[in-house]
Amino acid sequence: MSAKHQKLERHGVAFATMILIVASLGGLFEIAPLFTIENTIEEVEGMRPYTPLELAGRDIYVREGCYACHSQMIRTLRSDVDRYGHFSLAAESMYGHPHQWGSKRTGPDLARIGGKYTDVWQVAHLENPRGVVPGSVMPGYAFLANTRLGTTHLAGALRALRRAGVPYTDIQIEYAERHAIWQADKEAEYEDSLVDAYGTNVNVRDFDGDPQRLTEMDALVAYLQVLGTLANLDDLVLEDIAR
Amino acid sequence: MKGRLDKYTNTPTTGHEWDGIEELDTPVPWGFRLALKLAILIAATQWVLYPAWPYVVSYTSGMTGYSSRAAVAAAVKDGRSLRDQAFAVFVTPDLEELASKPGIREKFEPVIGALYRDNCSACHGRDLKGQANFPNLTDDHWLWSGELDEIEYTLQVGINSNHEDTRYAEMPAFGRDEILLKPEITDVVEYVLSISGQEHDLSAADRGAEIFAENCSGCHNDGGAGGYAFGAPSLIDSEWIYGGDRKAILATLNNGRAGIMPAWSERLNAAEIRMLTLYVQWAGSDDQGD
Repeated sequence: MSAKHQKLERHGVAFATMILIVASLGGLFEIAPLFTIENTIEEVEGMRPYTPLELAGRDIYVREGCYACHSQMIRTLRSDVDRYGHFSLAAESMYGHPHQWGSKRTGPDLARIGGKYTDVWQVAHLENPRGVVPGSVMPGYAFLANTRLGTTHLAGALRALRRAGVPYTDIQIEYAERHAIWQADKEAEYEDSLVDAYGTNVNVRDFDGDPQRLTEMDALVAYLQVLGTLANLDDLVLEDIAR
Repeated sequence: MKGRLDKYTNTPTTGHEWDGIEELDTPVPWGFRLALKLAILIAATQWVLYPAWPYVVSYTSGMTGYSSRAAVAAAVKDGRSLRDQAFAVFVTPDLEELASKPGIREKFEPVIGALYRDNCSACHGRDLKGQANFPNLTDDHWLWSGELDEIEYTLQVGINSNHEDTRYAEMPAFGRDEILLKPEITDVVEYVLSISGQEHDLSAADRGAEIFAENCSGCHNDGGAGGYAFGAPSLIDSEWIYGGDRKAILATLNNGRAGIMPAWSERLNAAEIRMLTLYVQWAGSDDQGD
């Protein structure tokens, strides 16, 4: 044992500082460079921030702990790609704060669930999973259909996300609450406003089968139905995204 | 602090001493030291061969040019070409001829079953017999005809889906949108009960028949026999998608129906859609009832 090390061991603060420096090396080399390396996030057409309704659904997804059993990360493995579709891109979760990649699959991966099943099925399944999937171990979430969706906080939520780097515009923030209500409006009288703010790739319809009320079920299904449908994967060139 | 030599084992001590207890400074066994050095060597080799060290705007890409994404893309492509070979028989212009090929069902049905269970069974059930809101595929009652090429087309474009060529069918909300008055709707309900052979109110059903002829027969045909042209179900049989009792029919008339079948042409390739088409037909041909 060197004399220098013995000296270090006898000075508490110096020793603790050295431990911190050594322990942070991993992060320094594995995490910090991701913020400066240019190809961390791919350039993909079609990605947009979540609409307020989708965002509210995402908050419910997090609140109910869906991430504990469902990942949203199709890994670069053949088995994953064969079953769930194109592997996930970093760009697809760049507006997710926090991302919902997850590391546990008690249920299937949901990264590209959007559009695979109908709203009716999603609602029936959330209300009573074993009613449509015999043997499922998923809990039921029937109360979502009876719970009015709180919308008053949405403008604030968008503002907070803008601080975290999501490019919400002033208009989007100002109209957050109205956009949430309009998106679940079957009559879709205000569809143009949503399209102006978020582009054409927005599902405008009544999601929960009850056009009279805006419920948490509307929000969650709106969120599920947009998962994996935003990024334009057809135009991707493998050389550009190879990592 | 240099340790002294322990006289019993002839090994140096560490020099530490706790109330007279001392510690031998035995070297780490050579095997472990070798393993450590090998691990360092392997790590250093990997640094050279694979993407490893980050610098500010990029990282060392390694001599092999390895990319996990390129690797998985290649693996998926290999898998697809294997499947393309295995299922080449399904790429044929004549679907009817394919369906009548001997042995094809025995050979492929179990494989297609996996495809069905992954994509279709959530709604139509593992046994293809459907469930509430989702039609039974094994009976002989069809919304858009049970011809093979029509089934295939439905699979491709869906019904009320977001595919640009989707089949489209919507039962209007006669009650909610105030197309019919409340008593008119209850009369039509009685009429539908009567043509489907259920208990009904005779005089109400008579009144309902007239209203039906004016408002419903355009899609459901005269007498409620249904029609493939508009994807309108037959109302004279005992098969119902949304339930056939008084309460369910009333709900359908009040709020309308527009069931959705997703379009699969973007998730599944042509051969897979064709396989599922045959799978549906095979299941239907087993059903001896109707």
